[in-house]
Amino acid sequence: MKPISKINLAGMLTSLVATSALAEDDTKFFEANIRPMLVEHCYRCHSVEEGKSKGGLRVDDREALLTGGDSGPAVVPGKPSESLLLTAIRHDDPDLEMPPRKPKLSDRVIADFATWIEEGAIDPRKAKPAGNGEGDWSDFESRKEFWSYRPPTTPTVPNSPEPDAWASSDIDRFVLAELKASGLAPSPDADAVTLLRRLSFDLTGLPPSPEMVAHFSLDRLEETVDALLDSDGFGVRWARHWLDVARFAESNGKEANVTYPHAWRYRDWVIDAFNEDLPYDRFLIEQLAGDLLPFDSEKERARQLIATGFLAFGPKGLTEGNQLQFAADVADEQIDAFSRSMLATSLACARCHDHKSEPVRMADYYALSGIFKSTETRFGTWVDSESSQGGKLVRLPDLPGQLIPNPSIPKTEVAKLEEKLAQLAADEANGKARGEKMLADGEDPQKHFNEMLREALRIIWTRGPIVGKLETVDAEGHALPLCMGVIEGEKMVDSPKYDRGEIGHPGEKVTRAVPAIFGLETEGPVPGEASGRLELARWLTDPENPLTARVMVNRVWSHLFGAGLVNTVDDFGHTGAAPSHPELLDYLALRFRENGWSVKTLVREMVLSRTYRQSSGWRADCFEKDPDNRLLWRIPRRRLDAEEIRDSMLAVSGELDPSPRAGSLVAELSSQSVALIAFNQSLPDDLDGSLHRSIYLPVLRDRLPDVLKLFDFAEPSLVTGSRDTTNVPPQALYLMNSDFIRARAEGLAKRLKSDADDREGQIDRAFELCFNRAPTVEEKALVAGFFETPIKGIAESEKDETLIAFCQALLASADFRIAD
Amino acid sequence: MKTLRTTEPPFASRREMLRTSSLGLGWLAFSALAAKTGHAVASTAVSASGLTPKPTHFPARARHVIFLTMRGGPSHVDLLDYKPILEKNNGKTARTGRDAIGAKLLAPAHPFARYGQSGLRMTSLLPHIGEHADEICILNSMHTDVPNHSPAFVQMHTGSFQFVRPSLGAWTIYGLGSENEDLPGFVTLNPPAGDGGARNYGSAFLPSICQGTRLGGSQLPGLYAALLKRQQAPGPPMKNIANEHLNLAEQRRQLDLIRGLNQSRLRRDPHQPEVEGMIESFELAFRMQSEVPGVLELGDESKETLELYGIGNGNDIFARQCLLSRRLVEAGVRFIEIASPEGWDHHALLSQNIKKACESVDQPVGALLTDLKRRGLLKDTLVIWGGEFGRTPYAPGLDGRDHNHKGFSLWMAGGGVKGGMNYGATDEIGYEAVENPMHIHDWHATVLHLLGLDHKQLTYNYGGRNFRLTETSGEVAREILA
Repeated sequence: MKPISKINLAGMLTSLVATSALAEDDTKFFEANIRPMLVEHCYRCHSVEEGKSKGGLRVDDREALLTGGDSGPAVVPGKPSESLLLTAIRHDDPDLEMPPRKPKLSDRVIADFATWIEEGAIDPRKAKPAGNGEGDWSDFESRKEFWSYRPPTTPTVPNSPEPDAWASSDIDRFVLAELKASGLAPSPDADAVTLLRRLSFDLTGLPPSPEMVAHFSLDRLEETVDALLDSDGFGVRWARHWLDVARFAESNGKEANVTYPHAWRYRDWVIDAFNEDLPYDRFLIEQLAGDLLPFDSEKERARQLIATGFLAFGPKGLTEGNQLQFAADVADEQIDAFSRSMLATSLACARCHDHKSEPVRMADYYALSGIFKSTETRFGTWVDSESSQGGKLVRLPDLPGQLIPNPSIPKTEVAKLEEKLAQLAADEANGKARGEKMLADGEDPQKHFNEMLREALRIIWTRGPIVGKLETVDAEGHALPLCMGVIEGEKMVDSPKYDRGEIGHPGEKVTRAVPAIFGLETEGPVPGEASGRLELARWLTDPENPLTARVMVNRVWSHLFGAGLVNTVDDFGHTGAAPSHPELLDYLALRFRENGWSVKTLVREMVLSRTYRQSSGWRADCFEKDPDNRLLWRIPRRRLDAEEIRDSMLAVSGELDPSPRAGSLVAELSSQSVALIAFNQSLPDDLDGSLHRSIYLPVLRDRLPDVLKLFDFAEPSLVTGSRDTTNVPPQALYLMNSDFIRARAEGLAKRLKSDADDREGQIDRAFELCFNRAPTVEEKALVAGFFETPIKGIAESEKDETLIAFCQALLASADFRIAD
Repeated sequence: MKTLRTTEPPFASRREMLRTSSLGLGWLAFSALAAKTGHAVASTAVSASGLTPKPTHFPARARHVIFLTMRGGPSHVDLLDYKPILEKNNGKTARTGRDAIGAKLLAPAHPFARYGQSGLRMTSLLPHIGEHADEICILNSMHTDVPNHSPAFVQMHTGSFQFVRPSLGAWTIYGLGSENEDLPGFVTLNPPAGDGGARNYGSAFLPSICQGTRLGGSQLPGLYAALLKRQQAPGPPMKNIANEHLNLAEQRRQLDLIRGLNQSRLRRDPHQPEVEGMIESFELAFRMQSEVPGVLELGDESKETLELYGIGNGNDIFARQCLLSRRLVEAGVRFIEIASPEGWDHHALLSQNIKKACESVDQPVGALLTDLKRRGLLKDTLVIWGGEFGRTPYAPGLDGRDHNHKGFSLWMAGGGVKGGMNYGATDEIGYEAVENPMHIHDWHATVLHLLGLDHKQLTYNYGGRNFRLTETSGEVAREILA
């Protein structure tokens, strides 16, 4: 805890400095005591030699010291108290402590500097020719020549030599050409049921029902694909992919993990966007600048406001007490999230230095930073013992039939809360008056430190939750429709360029602007009265922006073909992987734009390709030449992700509720603290217990539902385009022993009993539901052997424990969680 | 897509193994092998799944770490950093540190004592720990970046308070693997739910196998524990570790059915390493069911040992955790973390509360050191005792101290650390580290070094950048290496 009042005692300190006689030879003192210290502690950031002048300051010649940097002269000869250099090394000013992040220089050295300045700052050093200041940028233009920064070009589709050849689309022609060039051939088509299972999982995240299997044949492929694209499951599945890259979460995470009770509206917005096939360019624009777009109806207005939640639910340093630092960190997180997710490039790397490998300068970063600092981020936390930061929420327009899960309170309660606020304000005024009186009477307030601190904290921590509550209701106590999001800030500000990203070292201001990387017309400074988010969104979706479309088609591709054409789906920069099929990538990117940025059209085209229809079987010759399947000689098998595993269990047991879960569990919690959720007896320990699709499970950072955490859910604090697939014993323990799988096994057993009368029928039905096939002869024997000895179970139970144990075995099997 | 450093293939080795073997060393082949030579082979083969012990960068001094975290900022000037001037000038105005001006220096609330042959000075409140002074190295020049609990606590664990980064334990597992395939390599017992929570044992972008396994429930944040009048009781030892519906023989039959189904799948296409992995994973899990409760139960410990730790004296959760730590080390767990039962955030009532806090840890930690030593485990087990920062030498009120991140102390023992020594120093009143300053990064670099890992080589490529625990700095304190 910081002391409540800070007293600047620079003046007092000055008097402590011992004045010693300067040596006869004036430069001798400098050479012996000052120069070595400057060289050792300062030159690294403030010298021509190192090509650096942080804060605009160099200390390697006298002139430079007298002129000083952005904050003014570093040395005023004869006046130690006016010399910023001394202020900095004495750590008198918390925002200007030198050397940075190092222990303070010794008292003796500091006294030497004071003496030296006092005596006229004698310094024989002459100016050296200045360097270029900001590091070597000779290769800047060549960095821009990197493939991903150049616009996509229309490629020539390779010719298929034989007219009746394997290829059924241009995608196939590109793939086939590469395979042939390496002396490989594509795999035969997968059988119809395997293909249907693959399609059903890939497009909806669920296995096909036995009825779908019965109706399916290859000549019905297109209509089946269209039906899957039209089903609500499509939005559920593909929204989740986007939520991974949007680092979506319903709590802050980090050191102050408080809930975001309104984040779910963004989740639903993404699901709707994919189901309605909102054009992808529009999808991005709404997330960055939805609040600035015109609207035809209140409904549209609400939708666009909710979309800006993308900028609001990032992890924040809520314990940060310094507002300047907090604002800089929020903007930084926003820059990182939007650039990684939408451009697969991290612009945030240029916060502390010009980017090491990409054509992004610090100036570009701070131009962007100004855009986000001119934006008000509304994340709706309140100040309490955990969080030092309170944030408002965005008020949505009232709509008929609107869901408002946050609770209303009686009107009398509103009055009571307002009364309490008034009382707290009075208490606060009293406390202040008391402190001032003490000072006036010459009494030391430090004596009452504990008591005053307790009182101050009582006021602050009591007020926060009340303010937070009142934010969510109207004067009558009716719950308001609210969302997380952003609006334009009260004041438009340009950000200073901070040396090494440290707010203690502001440099010159950088005009708000869209990064000048690609030479687009949408680049450049933004209008003075606007934050610049709309301009940024336009630049992002400018048809000539070389990254946006490529990055998205690559993401979509990776979800359907097991890996991206660019394997590093979140990194299209110099450190990322090169595309395996550059022409195909450009072809898809251009098609995507031509087709009005329609994700459904893109997915449709990919899954109807012959490439997608290949079998997943292993082939020794291909494996030898291309073990990573970069050339796509087969479709790789895929372990289902956490949501698919869970949802499939619910689906086959017949318990799945496919309707959207209204709101979110997080919206219904009364506490702000995630830490306390562990002790809320009314919540299941695994945070599950729902029968809805997994996308509706609470996504609390660092406190995920068991099934998500165990099966490699995307870390919700990070942009994650490609999840890990691990195989660790805790997963097996979950499948062997968890309450969730036991409940599904019981559900499946119950379903089997109602669907079939005898054991054989039940077994066949179980295989049909779980694997969309009949058991093989071998499996039949195996299962029969299992049923021979009945299972009694530990607890006395009326239940058919053998059948339940059998059902659980199927749900836990590899077949169940691998899509071929 | 995450890539691994090229010199270190363990996470990819399964694939390598399969790639180089023309038939694919399928599970069937493996099981025949395993049947011949028994469990030892099983463990080795299983290790291909990622936890295999890995070669170190140079010879390791420590193979295990027990990290005793003292949350809240233990007062180094009362506990580990003896500053006679505080006694002499008690009540006089502090002259160092801009926040301090006006505040009065405060003498240690309890006297210091000399311990062991080395005469190491520590508070007289830690006599049991003091018995091991000649094994203990006090780091007196620690410093960190921020004086707030949560960020500093997270930085102590992950090196960064701003970004989501893997924890020290996760980096350890990433670098060294585990010694026991039947147990997780990194275990945290009843970790605090606040101050970063799971972040402190998370793996962030490292493979999730590196993350700490939480045993027991979360500790209630102190404030809430007081409000709710609830004890910080541990929850169930480990989730999903037992089946409530089937007995062991029945479950074995069920697993055999699952294995049969999976083998049937393998026969359709033998080249499916992920299915082999699943089969092994079930076998491991089955063994864990037997092994884990055995490690967690203290029933086979002698009465003398239980008494040594102070188990059976009412509130003995921390004592149990200390004993459990030793058992986990014996079982081959690489990194174990436990947190002190009392907080160390002594803004007020310092003299009585620091006594209480010391009493809550002294006997159990002393016993842990004794126990490790007599079993020959201390030489390769690094025991760390410390919190996220220290406290000011001056008092803002009458009997309390403020947070101080500019200079503080922690101690380490065993695991190749020189005993009976102080390393580094703060200024004369204990405010700021001045001699051999040791930033969190330096400390992390030193801990990794003791484990045989070079902090500069232990990197992971995430999103196009090589990350390491120590970011861009970190110096190993070579003077403390035994």
